[in-house]
Amino acid sequence: MPALPLDEAGRYVAGAYVVFMLLILVYVGIMAAKLQRIERDLRELASFAEQGNGHKKAAPGREDEDGEDRAQSEPVAPGRGSEDQSISVSSGPSESRGGDG
Amino acid sequence: MYAKGLRNESTSPSPKGRNQTVMPFASGLRTLSIVTVAAFAVSLSLVFFYAPLDADQGFVQKIFYVHVPLAIVALLGFVVGGVFAIAHLRSGDSRWDAYSYVSIHMSVIFGVAVLITGSIWAKASWGHWWVWDEPTLVSFLIVFLMYATYYPFRYAIEDRERQARYASVFAITAGAFVPLNFMAVRLAESLVHPRVFATANGGLPGEMMLTFLASLAACGLLWGTLVKLELTAKSASGQLKRLRRALDAPVPGAASRVAPEVR
Amino acid sequence: MTPSRAAYAAILGKDLRTELRTLQSLPAMALFAVTTFVIFRFGLDRTSLSGSLAAGVLWATLLFAAVLGVNRLFVSERAEGGFDAIRLAPVDRTALFAAKASALFLYLVALEAAVVPVFALFFLDSAAALPPLVLVLVLADLGIAATGTLISSMAVHSRARDLMTPLVLLPLVVPLMIAATGASDPLMAAGGPDYERFGTWLGVLGLYDLIFLLVGYAVFDFLLED
Repeated sequence: MPALPLDEAGRYVAGAYVVFMLLILVYVGIMAAKLQRIERDLRELASFAEQGNGHKKAAPGREDEDGEDRAQSEPVAPGRGSEDQSISVSSGPSESRGGDG
Repeated sequence: MYAKGLRNESTSPSPKGRNQTVMPFASGLRTLSIVTVAAFAVSLSLVFFYAPLDADQGFVQKIFYVHVPLAIVALLGFVVGGVFAIAHLRSGDSRWDAYSYVSIHMSVIFGVAVLITGSIWAKASWGHWWVWDEPTLVSFLIVFLMYATYYPFRYAIEDRERQARYASVFAITAGAFVPLNFMAVRLAESLVHPRVFATANGGLPGEMMLTFLASLAACGLLWGTLVKLELTAKSASGQLKRLRRALDAPVPGAASRVAPEVR
Repeated sequence: MTPSRAAYAAILGKDLRTELRTLQSLPAMALFAVTTFVIFRFGLDRTSLSGSLAAGVLWATLLFAAVLGVNRLFVSERAEGGFDAIRLAPVDRTALFAAKASALFLYLVALEAAVVPVFALFFLDSAAALPPLVLVLVLADLGIAATGTLISSMAVHSRARDLMTPLVLLPLVVPLMIAATGASDPLMAAGGPDYERFGTWLGVLGLYDLIFLLVGYAVFDFLLED
């Protein structure tokens, strides 16, 4: 088949690349939704842990192994602040407890 | 079986010291993502500003630079999934099973992209949205269908350990199937059809080859980044479950399917 | 006779004897195949077939009938503790794989011996294609036996067992089908059997058989782990 004129061809090429981009974005969106759920569950879990174990601890917001208290004692803001906390939360246990996976 | 499960969950150092060497999955993810973005910036610029126009197909040939690298990366991803599966069967470590699962998952997603971009290319080149004449595309469709059955198969097996083992067997069997399939489909090709891939790959001039390799590298990096991302998400869920168990917290209503856990 | 060979003979013998006595699978498979031929006659609105159409109808039917048999292969082992028995016995566990694959192979051969002449009667102009077709059938049966046994042994532990087997098995046997129809198509050509690329296709079938018999042999042990 003879090559398509440039304006028609351009649409197909653009279509292919757009499909590619869209798939990536859809995937990222799904990952984001998963992360949201994880964050929400962690928050619930943290409050549950505090209720259940709060009376055992001397003071809240202390340096703690799992850092859950740390995240909870700051006013929870959906910004970089809480994100930094959650990054250190996830890396905390594996540093402080050597035997972790 | 129960003892094996316990061993994976214990926090005391195992005899192999395996648990102590585990990095959180997210380590290096940021760097990898940045490198991937840079790779795409480079390769896309090459595609649209550097690579010459194909004499035959004109501008439409540019689809080649996204379609073929995705296909190659997807197929390699399936092979990698099979290799992880072998490691899983030999070591019994469920981490390899998670790697295998995510590798196959990502390759199936890339496979969707391959088939759609391939279809667009077919329409632009030959006027039909699907052609049975292109053996590589047809082989890829069959491979895609094969790996798509991984999920219903996996989730139909309820026992977690058994599910992981059978999934590994599946990944290995399917891995053996891929080259056979390509060979059989190619042999079935009876029409002497202008082989786009042959002419494209065989006679690629230097600039096109460079662009192709750059796109291939970018797609490979993308695959790796997204696999790492998914493993991180799985790991986070896994840690969440551990925490829940440790705290004896109630589990929320919706029970998830028995999916590979990353601990 | 080594213990493994004794186990192989025992399992194979048991399966064959059970099938002969109860006739559970074979008549159903044969009947299904013949009925499917009738459906194709009306579906395609043809009374005579040749070439690629004949090959397609024959192999599609054989494959779907085979799936029926594959589904039932491990059911009794699961229900009556056959898996546990082989795990406990001090024999090479792949004896179970070999025995089941052999049984499936024999069922398929029996099925084809009954059904292929019927196909020739219904649709073919001459039986000249049948002798070389036997070679294709035997090689294809080996491949279906290997992959069918492997998939069935896993699917029997899953929830939607009857759905799982065809779902996973059918894509897996596509290369086998390509080779089988590729070889059969010229055999059933209108003008008489043609051996175009016959050797090539037989080679592909042989390769497929070899690879999946090896894969089955290599991984079967892991399937039987508790």
